[in-house]
Amino acid sequence: MQMWNIAWRNVWRRRRRTLITGFSIGFGVLLAAIFTGMAIYMYGNMINASAATGFGHVTFEPIGYSKAPALDKRLSRVDTLREQIVHENGVDAAMERIMGQAMFATASKTVGGMFLAINPQHESAEYNLLIRSLVEGKVFSDKNAGGVVIGKRLAEKLNLRIGKKLVYTTTDVNGEIVSEIARVSGLFVTGVDEIDGGMALFPLRQIQHVLGYHADEATLIAVMLRQQRHAESSRDVFRQKYHDPSIEILSWQQTQPDLAGMITIDAASNYVMQFLIALLIAAGILNTMLMSVLERTREFGVMLAIGLSPKRLFWLVMAESYWMALIGLVIGIVITSPFYWYFDVYGLDFSSLLGDESYTVSNVLIDPVIRMKLHVIHVIAILSAVFGLALLSGIYPAWRAGRVPPVESLRTI
Amino acid sequence: MSQALANDPKREDIVRLVDVSKIYRQGKIEVRAVDNLSLEIDTGDFCALCGPSGSGKTTVLNMIGGLDIPTHGQVFLERRDLASLSRGEVAAIRRDRIGFVFQAYNLIPVMTAYENAEFVLKLQGVSAVECHTRVMTILKEVGLVGLEHRRPDEMSGGQQQRVAIARAIVTRPAIVLADEPTANVDSATADSLLDLMQKLNRQDGITFLFSTHDKRVMDRARRIVRMRDGRIESDEVQG
Ligand SMILES: Nc1ncnc2c1ncn2[C@@H]1O[C@H](COP(=O)(O)OP(=O)(O)O)[C@@H](O)[C@H]1O
Ligand SMILES: [Mg+2]
Repeated sequence: MQMWNIAWRNVWRRRRRTLITGFSIGFGVLLAAIFTGMAIYMYGNMINASAATGFGHVTFEPIGYSKAPALDKRLSRVDTLREQIVHENGVDAAMERIMGQAMFATASKTVGGMFLAINPQHESAEYNLLIRSLVEGKVFSDKNAGGVVIGKRLAEKLNLRIGKKLVYTTTDVNGEIVSEIARVSGLFVTGVDEIDGGMALFPLRQIQHVLGYHADEATLIAVMLRQQRHAESSRDVFRQKYHDPSIEILSWQQTQPDLAGMITIDAASNYVMQFLIALLIAAGILNTMLMSVLERTREFGVMLAIGLSPKRLFWLVMAESYWMALIGLVIGIVITSPFYWYFDVYGLDFSSLLGDESYTVSNVLIDPVIRMKLHVIHVIAILSAVFGLALLSGIYPAWRAGRVPPVESLRTI
Repeated sequence: MSQALANDPKREDIVRLVDVSKIYRQGKIEVRAVDNLSLEIDTGDFCALCGPSGSGKTTVLNMIGGLDIPTHGQVFLERRDLASLSRGEVAAIRRDRIGFVFQAYNLIPVMTAYENAEFVLKLQGVSAVECHTRVMTILKEVGLVGLEHRRPDEMSGGQQQRVAIARAIVTRPAIVLADEPTANVDSATADSLLDLMQKLNRQDGITFLFSTHDKRVMDRARRIVRMRDGRIESDEVQG
């Protein structure tokens, strides 16, 4: 109705002030988008990297495995199970893996570490950090092949080169100590010291054989989802569907509690930061609206005198805040879009600053290229939060406008 | 006694002030802006409230319009005691029964002459078609045809006052309260504004109560109420 129209014109009476306030709201949108977008991208990266070193976004594992990992705990009929999981909604890949501890030795030295046994046909560089980080040699081509791929640091410690033999010792299904020899076929460098200096990647069959597992037994099935943020809901869906009492289905938050905790803390500090920015912006809007209300007391007095009710005057000023907020959002979208596009397509590359040093958090490698990732739901959340904030800070000025006793405002001539 | 007066059916008064006082407090100092004043305005009257600056004219007009509340006494508008009404009800009375004209800055700056005149009609919920006919008729009556689309800052003081008068009468109010409507314009413009008000009073029977301290303006009134120090000094009807 007419009020919207008057409000719109009123907003543009002080063009410069409106634009400044609009830009401050828009700047709020930009900051919120950058903070949220970068954090989400970074968390996503860390979660995926961590998932790729072992457990996946969702894990199917023997009951009690995560509390007390041991090589005698294993899943059976993994081939059928994996085949079924791979066809589930939202699942991108499912990989049977055996994980455990081992001693790696050569004639010169012995080093303790971890091994990961995989079926290369189900794995990919995308979902296996070790394959992705291969720097020399090659990864065995199928699960029945021989060979081992180890971290470059580990190779250095053991004085190993490609083609040389590695002795590994572990405990089998019966708790017996077993040893076997494998020839080094490739080396990887992930940038994470613990992984590069103590991890080895084996073909599945070889490890099954050494441990005394059947051909369809493995420690776990690591499930990679198309959207990692759906990990918990997917886990719940899987739990509904696969209620085998010997199997436990966990999300990455449960298999990687350190990472989950770190992300929670980081997200909380991010929220505090955003809240402070929001307060600053709200104060700006409040100030603008209050100023614009106080300088128009006479005008409001006339409007009240000719029959506008205080309630309607309140809504008139609220409508002005509404337009103000909308202008701010439009400006926000206009200034944020190119930023987002740039960060999405090119990212901000810090690798030259970091040099050769890699940067890890909770033993997860951080990509030196900073990008932004926002899902539709985040965009909606940011825009409606900023919009709501702008409207909220308009309430007091609007209330003040309706409170102007007409006499006081008319007396001033 | 006041209730008896208010209910007296013989009288055709539109406004009645009964023993009204308005005391403003500024710190410890009390200002008696209006001092125990009683006044009736008859329907169809053309009445000037005169007196020097500070004599209480504005206070009286504001109390009649429900913009200000008396410290003592009662104000009746069309026999309704304003003190008995809610803020919203008083706002509705101002919208439907009273037209206000102030000394200056009467208009809503972002709206054109047409939109200003239309504003209260829209508040009343009058249909767009009827709004248009009524506004155009009134603008013609006040001599503003051709200026409909001007904003206040594109009009002279006299033209602005004409729009204000148009807006005051377009709703066909019971009374127009005009607080020094000619104080900010030159005397020729003042004359033409008075001609206009007089015409509206005679033709359409609209009651006018306006304040002034200009001798030339008060001489145009049918009835002159003189005030001093918040009291009525004299009250006379001119031939
Ligand atoms: N809000 C107020 N606070 C204190 N005194 C006021 C206020 N409004 C008016 N007055 C005083 O009341 C008296 C009457 O004022 P007013 O009705 O404006 O007179 P007029 O319109 O005849 O010039 C003056 O002395 C004025 O100073
Ligand atoms: Mg006055």
